[in-house]
Amino acid sequence: MTGPSGDQDARAGITNVGMWSRAVSRAAMFLCLWLVLAGARPADIPAAAAAVVAATWASLYLLKPSASRRSPVAIARLAVLFLYHSIVAGWDVARRALDPRLPLHPGFVAYPTRLPHGVRRNVFTTLTSLLPGTVPTGERNGHILYHCLDVDQPVLADLAAEEAALVRALYNE
Amino acid sequence: MSDFLTASVGFILAMLALGLVSILRGPGDADRMMSAQLIGTGGIAALLLLGTVTGVPAAVDVALILALLATFASIAFVKKGLSRLEVDSTDGT
Amino acid sequence: MSYAGDIVTIASVSAGAFFFLAGTVGLLRFPDTLTRLHALTKADNLGLGFVVLGLLPQAASLRDGLKLISIWLLALLAGATVSQLIARSARQGGPAR
Repeated sequence: MTGPSGDQDARAGITNVGMWSRAVSRAAMFLCLWLVLAGARPADIPAAAAAVVAATWASLYLLKPSASRRSPVAIARLAVLFLYHSIVAGWDVARRALDPRLPLHPGFVAYPTRLPHGVRRNVFTTLTSLLPGTVPTGERNGHILYHCLDVDQPVLADLAAEEAALVRALYNE
Repeated sequence: MSDFLTASVGFILAMLALGLVSILRGPGDADRMMSAQLIGTGGIAALLLLGTVTGVPAAVDVALILALLATFASIAFVKKGLSRLEVDSTDGT
Repeated sequence: MSYAGDIVTIASVSAGAFFFLAGTVGLLRFPDTLTRLHALTKADNLGLGFVVLGLLPQAASLRDGLKLISIWLLALLAGATVSQLIARSARQGGPAR
């Protein structure tokens, strides 16, 4: 779903050494995931090695490493914001679903994003699909079209705050 | 404690049964697919609870597989309308 | 299996069950496909999240706990991705048959 401009993040000339270190760090991540999911047994080593190599290759092929700096603090802040938003969103939907009067004012809102097409915008839409009362439903004229449960809520301001947090966490250049 | 967890499994299974009602009702394909996803998520929760109650660790692995399969099912469903999606993503550029 | 852990389990699994109830009721009551999608993706994943949180104190080892969390993250990522795909096709009148 990345579209024709999907590898925009891969520009900015990544050196060979940088590529290898990314590959090693991703492989280490997949190894940890394997250990969590399947446990550590000597008989599993061939299967684990094959799975880690295949996963690393697929992840490097599908998600090109980007050259931008990542700040752990900002990522943690984004994770907290994300969890907080998920809980608020779930509570909001639950309240509306269980209210006998069914208070809904559904409608579409177009959000003008500054994120480029491709991976970054996809990450953003995935994150914001968990914001209270918004679901991204595609794009029109370069704007992301959101469906809202209640168009009277300050949807655009929430989206802008989320975009700023995302840029601080992952795409700070 | 295990009584409480067993009761929770029963409750979540009842929600899944309601999800089946919503599959019957539809009206559209997308609605039916969403019900199927609800059943996937609820099934994962029920399996995780059951695995803890009965002390069968394999139930957690089954839940993991269910999470993967529910994802693939939904993506396969959406891929049916892929030509429309591509039209959608090019009109933005 | 401590007393405090049991309290966390009961509170959190109850919250999870509540969100499953809300998600299902929303799926049945909301008027159109896109609003039902809100109910599904939000309440549902949160329900699973609370069930996982509640089971953490009962987990036998650290690895079991991490496994539960990774299952939740997988379901969350899948739900968030699939919901926008379904939303796109629903806005355009459903996938071609």
